[in-house]
Amino acid sequence: MGQTINSGQQKLNANHMTRLLLLRLLQLVLSSCQRESKLSTTQLLLRDGATMGYPPPFEGTGEVKEGFLCPLCLKDLQSFYQLQDHYEEEHSGDDRHVRGQLKSLVQKAKKAKDKLLKRDGDDRPDTGSYESFYYGGVDPYMWEPQELGATRSHLDLFKKHRAARIDHYVIEVNKLIIRLEKLTSFDRTNSDAAKIRAIEKSVVSWVNDSDVPFCPDCGNKFNIRNRRHHCRLCGSIMCRKCMEFVPLPLAQKLINGTREALCVQGSPGQSQSPPAGGGSSGMGSRRGSISSLSSVTSMLEEKDDEKIRCCHHCMDTLLKRQQKLEEKDHMPDIVKLYERLRMCMEKVDEKAPEYIRMAESLNAGETTYNLDTAGGLRLEVQKYYELIDALSKRILTLGLKDDPQPHPKALQLQRMVRYTATLFVQEKLLGLMSLPTKEKYEELKEKRKQEQEKRLQQERLAAQEALKRRQESERNRPPVSTNGELPQAPRAPRMTKAGGWLPSADSVHTRIELEDPLLQQIENIQSFLRQAREANRTDEVAMLEENLRQLQDEYDQQQTSLAISLSQKLAEEESLQQGEFHRLEAREREEREHWGPALGSSQPSYTWERSLNIGPAGGFQGEEDTAAEDLTPKAERSPSSLRAFPALTSQEESPPRLRSLGGHVTPPGGEGQNSTSLNPFDEEDSTPIEEDPSNPFSEDIKREHKEVTNGKKEYNPFDEEDIKDDKQAETAPGNPFEEDDDTDPGNPFMEASGNSPEVSTNPFDGEDDDEALPDLDMIEEELLLQQIDNIRAYIFDAKLSGRLDEVELLSENLRELQHTLQEQKKKKH
Amino acid sequence: MNVTLAVKQYISKMVESSGPGMKVLLMDRETTSIVSVVYTQSEILQKEVYLFERIDSQNRDSMKHLKAICFLRPTKENVEHLIQELRRPKYSVYFIYFSNVISKSEIKALAEADEQEVVAEVQEFYGDFIAVNPHLFSLNLQGVARGRSWEPSMLSRCTQGLTSVLLALKKCPMIRYQLSSDMSKRLAESVKQIITKEYELFDFRKTEVPPLLLILDRSDDTITPLLNQWTYQAMVHELLGLNNNRIDLSRVPGISKDLREVVLSAENDEFYANNLYLNFGEIGTNIKNLMEDFQRKRPKGQQKLESISDMKAFVDNYPQFKKMSGTVSKHVTVVGELSRLVSERQLMEVSEVEQELACQNDHSSAQQSVRRLLQNPRLSELDAVRLVMLYALRYERHSSSILPSLMDELSRRGVSERHRRMVQSVVEYGGKRVRGSDLIAPTDAVAITKQFFKGLK
Repeated sequence: MGQTINSGQQKLNANHMTRLLLLRLLQLVLSSCQRESKLSTTQLLLRDGATMGYPPPFEGTGEVKEGFLCPLCLKDLQSFYQLQDHYEEEHSGDDRHVRGQLKSLVQKAKKAKDKLLKRDGDDRPDTGSYESFYYGGVDPYMWEPQELGATRSHLDLFKKHRAARIDHYVIEVNKLIIRLEKLTSFDRTNSDAAKIRAIEKSVVSWVNDSDVPFCPDCGNKFNIRNRRHHCRLCGSIMCRKCMEFVPLPLAQKLINGTREALCVQGSPGQSQSPPAGGGSSGMGSRRGSISSLSSVTSMLEEKDDEKIRCCHHCMDTLLKRQQKLEEKDHMPDIVKLYERLRMCMEKVDEKAPEYIRMAESLNAGETTYNLDTAGGLRLEVQKYYELIDALSKRILTLGLKDDPQPHPKALQLQRMVRYTATLFVQEKLLGLMSLPTKEKYEELKEKRKQEQEKRLQQERLAAQEALKRRQESERNRPPVSTNGELPQAPRAPRMTKAGGWLPSADSVHTRIELEDPLLQQIENIQSFLRQAREANRTDEVAMLEENLRQLQDEYDQQQTSLAISLSQKLAEEESLQQGEFHRLEAREREEREHWGPALGSSQPSYTWERSLNIGPAGGFQGEEDTAAEDLTPKAERSPSSLRAFPALTSQEESPPRLRSLGGHVTPPGGEGQNSTSLNPFDEEDSTPIEEDPSNPFSEDIKREHKEVTNGKKEYNPFDEEDIKDDKQAETAPGNPFEEDDDTDPGNPFMEASGNSPEVSTNPFDGEDDDEALPDLDMIEEELLLQQIDNIRAYIFDAKLSGRLDEVELLSENLRELQHTLQEQKKKKH
Repeated sequence: MNVTLAVKQYISKMVESSGPGMKVLLMDRETTSIVSVVYTQSEILQKEVYLFERIDSQNRDSMKHLKAICFLRPTKENVEHLIQELRRPKYSVYFIYFSNVISKSEIKALAEADEQEVVAEVQEFYGDFIAVNPHLFSLNLQGVARGRSWEPSMLSRCTQGLTSVLLALKKCPMIRYQLSSDMSKRLAESVKQIITKEYELFDFRKTEVPPLLLILDRSDDTITPLLNQWTYQAMVHELLGLNNNRIDLSRVPGISKDLREVVLSAENDEFYANNLYLNFGEIGTNIKNLMEDFQRKRPKGQQKLESISDMKAFVDNYPQFKKMSGTVSKHVTVVGELSRLVSERQLMEVSEVEQELACQNDHSSAQQSVRRLLQNPRLSELDAVRLVMLYALRYERHSSSILPSLMDELSRRGVSERHRRMVQSVVEYGGKRVRGSDLIAPTDAVAITKQFFKGLK
């Protein structure tokens, strides 16, 4: 009878026990509550010592109250979270001694639990580990729960100070870029020196020569030999030594980069290709700053048609800007690899527990999961491990062959990533338990069946006995409680004498799989409801129904949010799959070319196309079904093609893929895509167990079409394949790795590099198209307008956040821009 | 009030709030030990932190694909290093956490250096202490006092450490200190000052009985630290040297290479956690049990892996086995070394005399025992000096003190001048004149504790 204890809940309790979250949990509570008062709506459970088959564990009271009871008001609160909330809301103001009270309560509960557990005769491993791990008498688990220590953020202050500086900096950079744009926007090679100079001077007002007798940077006196030079970007004066040049390509790059950053898309693009070739025209190259009388000086002067002179302050700013622009687009290989690595790790984290659950269940001889499904999942997880290994190896060896060896720190980073991956694999892979063989599994199943029968028998006996006793002892009680239970002997034990509903045995069984507490709750209530209906207690049925509705609403909400996130994920994966399929198709084509127009080869390619269609189609049930019909006959034919070329790797691959397609189609519910674990409650529950194995399976398949799965569904269309199964078993496990070593590591990068340049070159493409438009002024204007808009936005932002000084600065900038715009327009007309 | 957990929570919070991606942890000398004492490398690697760098290290490459988490003490040098770092950022984003209160002007200086807008977070996370055990922290300071007064810089470091512990545990305490000690008083005042100044930070939920910060001066009881210890952790600390939960075993004769330095952390080592405070004798038994358990689990005969099921079983058990073998070899080595030292230095005999000196009041037998032991050539120099120190403290004002002759004995043994002078220093540090209470007079332990608590009031 001890089995009727809500085992899921006990598990919960035990877990909490280990953590001893004093405030949060409520253990078994001794209470002398009225028996009838609190029973009906909740999963609160009253057990009578007599029905349990042993004397009441606690003297005085005959009952154990189990559930999430508030320690202070003994209100039952359904779930752990609700209790926590309730406690925080209602009792946070109460005195501190509550804590002590609670502690004693927990102590009591612990004692009681120990007693109970001993009687139940099952030693729980978690209590053991809890007991064994403490610091010689100082047990930190007994300490109060601890939240994160105090913190204080300075971010606002920091941002405030930084914003002032940054805006200044941004404006400076923008100014320089605008001027640079102007300086390069005319044809330098074909204009004469005076004109160039005039334009240059119009961009920025030059500092008067007479004001600066010494070079401000090096302090040398200017004279006829040490002549003054003006920075074309800020107008300041420096000597020849302190002078720097912005080469035109760099200038172009900066302007383009800035433009790209400014205009989101569809910018008119630059039309000015850097003037090709140096020294094209002798005349244009001369631009004597004072006069053209001495050819010597003009020879000494650098030819300025390919570069713009500036001071090193401006140069510094520009170089920083350039560096930033470069970094924006640059994504080192290690990052790409690393992202893939993390993705694999996440997948493993997601799949491995599922597999372990399956394996545990299978090893216990349960029939909840399909052995083949588990085998498939195991293969899949193992494949991920292979991938992790391969990727981390690649990361480790990155750049090792390069001539200048990477910085030791970069190598260290690579080593660490590899080390972590190794740790990960070691920890997780070795934790993967093995599956029983087919024969063994049958044995296990048989054994378990027998055990269950035995237990059932015992239960029945005990129940009858208890019932007898109960009837004797409760003659004077209203007969409702025992109403209609006698005929259903196996179910009877689920009813306590007081009439609290217990989750039915099968639901106890499934609860282990249902991780969501809400689901558990729903499940429970559904079984209560059934029992209540059977007992003809209409009032309780109504209450339970109400309860159930609320829960389901809650659950639906949760599910929708889950579904949203999931569908996003799915979309990503689909795109990934698409890539994969394209690759496979390409390979297939290649193969076909190689092998000539072989008989069977057209078959797989067709099916792949089908699968491509199905992938995005996702949850459309109708389509899926038809796909299934379409596919099955073809699928049956395909093995023949395989026989034709048994040596071909691509051919060897195809049957598993076909099979996976079959699996993909099979689940009748077809709602794999909106339930991560399993969602048996979309339809009226009842058969969650049958659904369980199919759901994760179909999902897996969807995710990994190319995955080689040994898992065969009950209604696998490949009947003939049974014969070849052995051969499959031999080749299939080898397959993923083969694939891995040969093509896989190479492929992702192909894919990635195939995509990224496309994206990054996009703007350039656009510009190339626009090259036909040589109207410089238009572009200039456009750029200015954009700049103005930009600055207006800045001003708005600054005003909003109340930084008035900034507003002023920005307005000034804006005025300047508008002014230049006016000029531009004038020039145009 | 778990200090280890407090620091761990701070660090995991730092790492988590920086989001996914490869990370580097930038630390200074002190925060490096603060972090390393609570986290193992593999633990922190799992959080995607792959590099650990010192902010003052020059040998750092620009790695724009890394996020930097800076956990630094708010010292002038660190702020200066950070400013330099931000001017030419080597990493893509910076999450800056100071381990204590930082001034507004320094924040401003940092903000102005951040022209590239790489800083994403600036916070104070008060993990400014080394959490050795859940209930024990240290600041790893040496030479805090000059004579009977604080070294000024040390006082401020101590105050910072204490206030950060209070903040990490979210406690605003009542402070009590030992009145007879000027140093305790100064520290208490200093802590109080900070609490008053940063009252906003210390605004925690009031409890009926406020937590108590009790400040005591070691000089009130100089005797206990001079005694040899007989519990596991204490022995390791005393005989092998425990520094940030690490033991240096390189001096152990015939030590294997990977056991040169071992970490003893109750966090990850169940055996250690269970035996931390157990007596040496009990540890002997426990380690025997551990060995037996290990022998049982050990795969029987490596060559016997013939069938596939053998292999499978081996692979299934191997990680557990490997982990266990690490633990076993570590503790066997440590305990072995401890017992070697115990017998080599005749610590049993020494400890007996120490106990006699500390707890009994029989001068004549005590002086005989001390003299006898001093003539024992196997006694180590340190133990000899300690015995004399104990004697000097215990019978400081005894009419027939034989201290001078014991000192002669020490110099005859060839004990160094430095050590011999320490006897006098100890008496100056913790002698009768200094002690607020009389530690020694009552003969039984109960009375001593009683007296001790009286002294506090």
